[in-house]
Amino acid sequence: MGKVLEARGLVKAYRRTTAVDGVDLTLDAGERVALLGPNGAGKTTTLLMLLGAVLPDQGTVEVLGHPLPAERSRAMEGVGFAAGYLPLPERLRVREVLGVFANLYGIASPGPLIDRALERFGIAELGKAMATELSSGQRTLVGIVKATLHRPQLLVLDEPTASLDPDIADQVRRGVERLCVETGAALLVTSHNMTDVERVCERVVFLAAGKVVADGTPAEVARRFGKGDLEQVFLHLAGREEE
Amino acid sequence: MPVIDGLRVRAMVRRHAYVQKRAPQRWFDLAVWPCVDTVIWGSIGAFVDQQGGAARSGAAYMLSGILLMHVVYQANVSMATGFMDETWSRNLLNLMVSPLREIELLASLMLVSLVRLVVGLSVVALAAWGLYAFDVTSAGIGLVPVIAVLMLVGWTVALLVIALMLRFGSGAEILTWGILFVVIALSGAFYPVDAIPGALRPVCELLPSTHAFEAARLLLDGEPMPWVRLAAAAAGLAVCIPAAVVFLLRMLHLFRARGYVTRYS
Repeated sequence: MGKVLEARGLVKAYRRTTAVDGVDLTLDAGERVALLGPNGAGKTTTLLMLLGAVLPDQGTVEVLGHPLPAERSRAMEGVGFAAGYLPLPERLRVREVLGVFANLYGIASPGPLIDRALERFGIAELGKAMATELSSGQRTLVGIVKATLHRPQLLVLDEPTASLDPDIADQVRRGVERLCVETGAALLVTSHNMTDVERVCERVVFLAAGKVVADGTPAEVARRFGKGDLEQVFLHLAGREEE
Repeated sequence: MPVIDGLRVRAMVRRHAYVQKRAPQRWFDLAVWPCVDTVIWGSIGAFVDQQGGAARSGAAYMLSGILLMHVVYQANVSMATGFMDETWSRNLLNLMVSPLREIELLASLMLVSLVRLVVGLSVVALAAWGLYAFDVTSAGIGLVPVIAVLMLVGWTVALLVIALMLRFGSGAEILTWGILFVVIALSGAFYPVDAIPGALRPVCELLPSTHAFEAARLLLDGEPMPWVRLAAAAAGLAVCIPAAVVFLLRMLHLFRARGYVTRYS
């Protein structure tokens, strides 16, 4: 099975803190992996380095065989990214936002693709809505549609279900699962919702204080820490952070 | 693989066209402000003419000055605010993790500013003709290279401002207008460099825009194409543009190295 992502020895220090301290992370094609950890563990900084938006102080990143930052544009052609906290551009309708991003990913005539993608996530009626008038749940769904229009080989989601109602979170989860099954896309997701993670991901990577402290299936990781589930592992690690 | 992908540039141009279409206040810069400027400077010129103290037509000088100032203004402000649109709507991270290259983003901003420049100039030209019977074409075809120089000056200032925004965040946005008006003042847009205090003149001579404005005045006086002035402007641009690009690339590297993108996410 080919690798879609290979990061070695990632280190990132900001002025007063080392956010990421020697992280290794690989993803195989079609693999669904969660990057977990308490606040400040280094998840978002790691994601941003994997996407080429932040340069590591040390270490290397290769996405779909393309080294970053040298071949960032080529690498990103096969990657989709959405974050629950990111708004959509102002003064554009949903279809217009999706059309612009489809073009950025090389799709010249995205109309039918946009229709199908909106339907997949059950939001076909939002096409004509102004992007800034959406609820946070609708915005998240549109963000994921934006990230998946070009059928990426690697889908990266940062907190996709944060602050969503349970029914919308379920809609997101089912849509992402279906997309990964249909397209064979690998998934790298950060989340504080351990139920989401256990349902969607086959592997979890726990970060604490910028280091990888566990890597395996949800059951393996829970066993390693002597806990019953990921929720308890999370609380254990967060508690250790406070000591 | 081409350095610039036309589809991606087109997408970004379209993105800005939607904003222009749906933000009525954006038309202020394009239609109202040029008219206001034309009235202010045209009337000052007309007043000077009425006093009879000037050997040359004050109104013509002022109106050509405001027309050409708007070349620099529109080129700079349109490009810089186009970048600000991405920071204001926190869209920068979305773009940075897409295949869009930096040069494609800049190319799209230049194209958008070119269109806005044509609209803004047309408004000034029509207002000058309608209100003061000043025909901008009276300076002849020689104005074309002058306009080209000033457009490049505007874009160069915009590159500098974008670089400063990458380094210092949204607080640097005000420099879009601040740097522009320093350049306009030192370039003698409405007066010959001789009228500028002596201590500042060496700085003025270094600016490509100074030579462009001077060339425009010579053309208005009926002089032949001022090649020496245009060559001096071109030489200045040959230094300023690469310097601005290098500065922008350094600030972009710093932006990525220090993780400043999180300011906009």
